Amino acid sequence: MDFSDLHKQLKSMEGVSKVSHIRKNVIKLDLEKSVSKVFFTKLKDDFYFEHCSLITAIDNQPDFELVYHLSCLSGELSVDGTKMSAMVEVHIHLQRDSPSVDSVSDLWFGANWHEREAFDLMGIYFIGHPDLRRVLLPEGFAGHPLRKDYVYEIHEEEW
Amino acid sequence: MSAKGIRGNPELRRGVGSKTTDSEKIMEDPPAGDWLALRSDQLLKWIDDAVYNASEATGMREVVDRVTRPIFNFAQRFSPHPLHFGIMCCAIEMGQASAPDHDIDRLGLVYRSSPRQCDVLIVNGPVCEKLRPKLKTLYEQMPEPKWVIAMGECAISGGPYWDSYSVVAGADTFMPVDVYIPGCPVRPEALMHGFLTLQKKIREKEPGMFLRRE
Repeated sequence: MDFSDLHKQLKSMEGVSKVSHIRKNVIKLDLEKSVSKVFFTKLKDDFYFEHCSLITAIDNQPDFELVYHLSCLSGELSVDGTKMSAMVEVHIHLQRDSPSVDSVSDLWFGANWHEREAFDLMGIYFIGHPDLRRVLLPEGFAGHPLRKDYVYEIHEEEW
Repeated sequence: MSAKGIRGNPELRRGVGSKTTDSEKIMEDPPAGDWLALRSDQLLKWIDDAVYNASEATGMREVVDRVTRPIFNFAQRFSPHPLHFGIMCCAIEMGQASAPDHDIDRLGLVYRSSPRQCDVLIVNGPVCEKLRPKLKTLYEQMPEPKWVIAMGECAISGGPYWDSYSVVAGADTFMPVDVYIPGCPVRPEALMHGFLTLQKKIREKEPGMFLRRE
C-alpha cells in the first residue's frame, strides 16, 4: 500500500480530523475519543501498524491530550514506490473532569506499561486495562504529580 | 482416602483435627503478648544485657576490651566489606574506584553481594520513596558492627531532587550515616578519602569485644 492511499483512507474514516503529513513518512491526525478502539483495531489489522512506540500524556490546561506513536516496521507500506517504515501520530483530546479512554493493551501488549505510567503520573484512566496500578510511585501515593495543578506539601519552608 | 488426598485438600484437612465447625467452640489463638512468649530478639537482648552487666560489675569488661580492642580494630579497619549495591551515577564512580587506575582493593575493600557478609553500606544515589523500605531492610540485614557512607549530594541531602515528590531528602533521615562524601558525582579519589576517614573513625571510636555503639 502506498502512503498517499493510506492518507486518503485515514481521512475518510469516522472521527478522524486534521490529517496531515508532518514528515515524509509520518502522518499526524486528531481522533475522537469515542471511536478510538475501532480506529486502533483497524489500524493494526488492516494497515500493518504492529508496534506501539509511545503513549504520552500531556496536560494542556484545562484539557488533557494523549499522543500515540504507532509504527509500521515490516515494510508493507511504501512512500513514492520505496519500501519504508512509517509512523502515525494520533492525538486524542480528553476532558479534565473525566480523563478516560479505551485501553489498547489488548492490541499492543507493550502499551500495558505505557498506560500504567500515564495513569500513575497524569491520572488518565484506561477502560479495560487488565492491571491498572501505579508503576513508578509507591502504592498509596496521593495524587498524580505530573498534573499542572498538583501541589505537594513537603518542603514548604522558605530557604 | 489416602493421607496424600487429605493433605492436598484444605477442606478435608480442616476436619481431621477437630470435628466442630462452630466458630464459638474453636479456641482462639492466645494473644501474642510480650509477657507470654520470649521472642528471639528479646532473648538476645537479655543475654547481651546479662553478659555486659556481669562483665561491668566484675571489671572484666575493661580488661577484655583493652586486650581485644587492638586486634578487632585492626581487622575491622583494614577489611571494610562494602555492599555491592548501586543506585545511580555514583555507582559508576564506585566501579571506577575498583578499576586499575585507582585500585581501591589495596585499602582492603572487597565488595560482597550479600548484605549478610558486609559491614559498610554505600548509599550512592537518590533514595526514592519506593526504594527506602528496601534500603532499610538491607541495612538491617547487615551484621553488627556496620557503617553507612552517604556518597554524593543525592544521598546527603537529596541533591538536585531536594524538593521532589518522590525522592527522600537525604539518607540520614531514616538511617544513621557515619561518613558523608560530597561531590556530584563523587570522584574515585574522594571515595578513597571517605574510606580513609572511615578507617580513622573506626580507629578512634570503636571499642573492643564488648561492643556498645552509642
